[in-house]
Amino acid sequence: MTAPADTPFEEVLAAASASAHDGEGGEVYERRGAALELVEDEHNLHASVSTERGFAVRLFRSGRTSFAASGAASAMSLPAEARLLLSRSRTRRGARPAPAVPGAATPEPLGPPVRPDEIAARGLLVAFRRALAAASDGAVTLGEAALTLGARTERVATTAGRDVSFQSASATLVATVSARTGAGRASARVVAAAARPEELGLARLAHHAVDRVLLPLKGRPLDPGRWDLLLDPLVAASIVARLAPAFFGEEEDGFLAARTRDGRDALAAPALTLVDDASAPGGPARTTHDAEGTPQERTVVLERGRLAARLTDVAAAQRLGAGATGNAFRRAFSEPPAIGVTNFFADPSSGIPPLDLLRSLARGFYAAVLLSRPQVDLAADRFRLHAAGYWVEKGRATDAVSETLLSGRLSELLRGIEAVGDDLKFIPAAGGGAGAPTLFVPKWKG
Amino acid sequence: MLSDAVTVFREDAEDAVRIVSGMLRRGEGGEAFRERRRTIAWSATEAGLLSPAIVEESGTAVRVTRGKDSLLVAEGGDGPESLREVVREASRRAGGSPFFKTKAAPPRRVDPGPSGPDEEGRATLIASALARALPDPRGLSMTLAIARVTVSRAVVTARGFVPCGEATRLEATGVLRRTGATRTFAFQSSAPFASACDALARALTEAARPVPAHRAPEGRVDVVLSPEAASVFWHEAVGHPLEAEGGERTSVLTRVARASVAPPGYFVTSDPTRRELPGSYLADDEGTLARPVPLLEDGRVAGVLTDRRTAGAETNGHGRCGDFRRPPRPRLSALTVSAGRASRDELLDACGGGLYVREISAGHTDPESGRFSLYVESADLVRRGRLGAAVAPFVLTSDVLTALRNLWGEAGEVSAPASGLGLCVKRGEPLPVGGASPAILLRGLSAVPGRP
Repeated sequence: MTAPADTPFEEVLAAASASAHDGEGGEVYERRGAALELVEDEHNLHASVSTERGFAVRLFRSGRTSFAASGAASAMSLPAEARLLLSRSRTRRGARPAPAVPGAATPEPLGPPVRPDEIAARGLLVAFRRALAAASDGAVTLGEAALTLGARTERVATTAGRDVSFQSASATLVATVSARTGAGRASARVVAAAARPEELGLARLAHHAVDRVLLPLKGRPLDPGRWDLLLDPLVAASIVARLAPAFFGEEEDGFLAARTRDGRDALAAPALTLVDDASAPGGPARTTHDAEGTPQERTVVLERGRLAARLTDVAAAQRLGAGATGNAFRRAFSEPPAIGVTNFFADPSSGIPPLDLLRSLARGFYAAVLLSRPQVDLAADRFRLHAAGYWVEKGRATDAVSETLLSGRLSELLRGIEAVGDDLKFIPAAGGGAGAPTLFVPKWKG
Repeated sequence: MLSDAVTVFREDAEDAVRIVSGMLRRGEGGEAFRERRRTIAWSATEAGLLSPAIVEESGTAVRVTRGKDSLLVAEGGDGPESLREVVREASRRAGGSPFFKTKAAPPRRVDPGPSGPDEEGRATLIASALARALPDPRGLSMTLAIARVTVSRAVVTARGFVPCGEATRLEATGVLRRTGATRTFAFQSSAPFASACDALARALTEAARPVPAHRAPEGRVDVVLSPEAASVFWHEAVGHPLEAEGGERTSVLTRVARASVAPPGYFVTSDPTRRELPGSYLADDEGTLARPVPLLEDGRVAGVLTDRRTAGAETNGHGRCGDFRRPPRPRLSALTVSAGRASRDELLDACGGGLYVREISAGHTDPESGRFSLYVESADLVRRGRLGAAVAPFVLTSDVLTALRNLWGEAGEVSAPASGLGLCVKRGEPLPVGGASPAILLRGLSAVPGRP
């Protein structure tokens, strides 16, 4: 990172600190980003390159907060605008500028991030097209593939002494695929996200895309019943993603309190441990600091089925009387930070190979893909998955299942998990990622 | 409300046209796109408004098309220097090196800022709407983001400056929780601010009602959709399948072009000129003047929504983008449906036994197979042609051709704007859309109890 001569960061910070003697605190955030998107369909190739530079200011006074954001051209006016809004804010416990990070060196002003490599991006699209053709024997058509590579640098400084900068990168591939058989037509969008382009897992995405459009066309529907249930990592990850808000320090904890008798009971079976870790291998997020500049760490929120911790930003940590876990998240520079996940996943460290799990199915259903948005209602303790997959007998897949509904009490599903696989995979979720290995739930009545 | 007073990009319009004209080489098409977005937002809970926020975003993009390849270069800022910078970058990628004469930047318009009495008054109106909607919030927990968003857009072509319009809308999104249930909430209105706040209060009042204990019937069911709910049905079942994407035969409706798919008397039009509806514009985001495009005429498939990429010069003005960083694609605007002659009682009477759907919170369509899902938040049972008990949330599914074929021949007598129709998200790109429809009766949809 190099220091451009015209950086207004220090000037904005000085303006945000102007009323510090009156008990007002301030935070200045700068983001510089570069993105490349290649969209390829049957006939066209479209390339988009974009750069951005944005500033945001938050002011704090006696529990009140206000927020203002703009591009670089108007950044100097942000403290004044936020100050005008501050008087209209209501008091909220815990709101304050983040304190200094011990041992952090004063960063240099941000330079522009490294531009993504367009030649490598084109190579990835070609590789995915080949992987899809190989996985489907030509039975599945790629309607469109959109690859987005992004890089950004961020800096956060507060009047309480914090001043850190950090950088990150991301890669996302979205493919629209379709298939036509004698049983009908189907199309679907599949998504892979990773912290690096080379970690996208193109072959895995291609196999998932093929299952997603062909299974509904070649199998038979399965009526609900009582059988063993094996959830593919990508199906299980969609449930894990929807569990995450229950562990936000900001959220009403009705679900956790009601299901665990205020923490006295286990929420899930001992096989399930849930973790948030910004450095998890294979996870779509790979960052060192959160959006408030707090260093990120591995946080175990559910240990062997029991509540262990909450995910917090600075304000929520203050309210809970705990240390901030580094889970403040900004979708864009123009949005105030809120609690979110980095890589939130079911820990596979005690898992066994998924083939061993498959062999343990006497008579059951392997849910390979979701056919629609999963329905998980934490407050009502209900879930419903519309899935396709395979009917399994004595550890062998015997029939394709075109669709079935898996539904019931979420708490019963979580307490019914007997074993987890060692094949952790992630899906994009809420700015970060949610992940799970294969989950085994014996004798599920769905 | 859409306004044609796009003043913010006019200061250097002549210069911008010259720059865009000089950028394009023989065999190339393209334009510049400028956007400015101002948002004044509030976080809110059941206790009222909490923290205010003000955000100014602006951006400039140039798009160049040559043969089958196209390029978009975008960066923040909407002034002359940003335009020069993106043109420089686009030309550099094409192997050129344009020379620009330096001109003094025109003075920026002074913005009234968030301290003006207008903003104070608007905050008071929103707070009052919340207080009216939730007079007794006991047992309710709410996290809401409420925003007044003003978006100005303009396209600069090699021939001239084309304002897309300046649209202001009130948005609210978030989550409401009661013991035993969580529901998402999404609202938007382009009505004048006071009316929009009233509509927000009504929508919140409806959303905050306790979830009925009565489960919806499962399986095949006849359904009367209120005008609000019917707008979502038309959007999903007719609008999306008729957005030109990926060739003529990739959607269940484009495969049966000009065929009769619905009873005679149904006229469905994507009409971006209806200024009172969200999703309206003067010109689309490629600079093509807005015009109504019939999609169903007398029950027959009549048209497809196109942009320059899918129709070239024959575009019918539906190229829209989520923001300046994204390329335009064929997207819906405001979908209007002609009224019939049936009263609500006549529709309920024809339904006999089934459901009356008041609110659909979201929907999804697979254009290829034609399968669609509608997520119903609020509905009542219909028994012997009369409204009965309210039922818990459920999902309605069917396929487009079957649903249109089983549409009752007579629609409701009033085509009412759907004030609650929210943002349409396609490929992760949200866009405001509107709708106006009469109530309709659909037979033989599948109901699955439960909320998404």
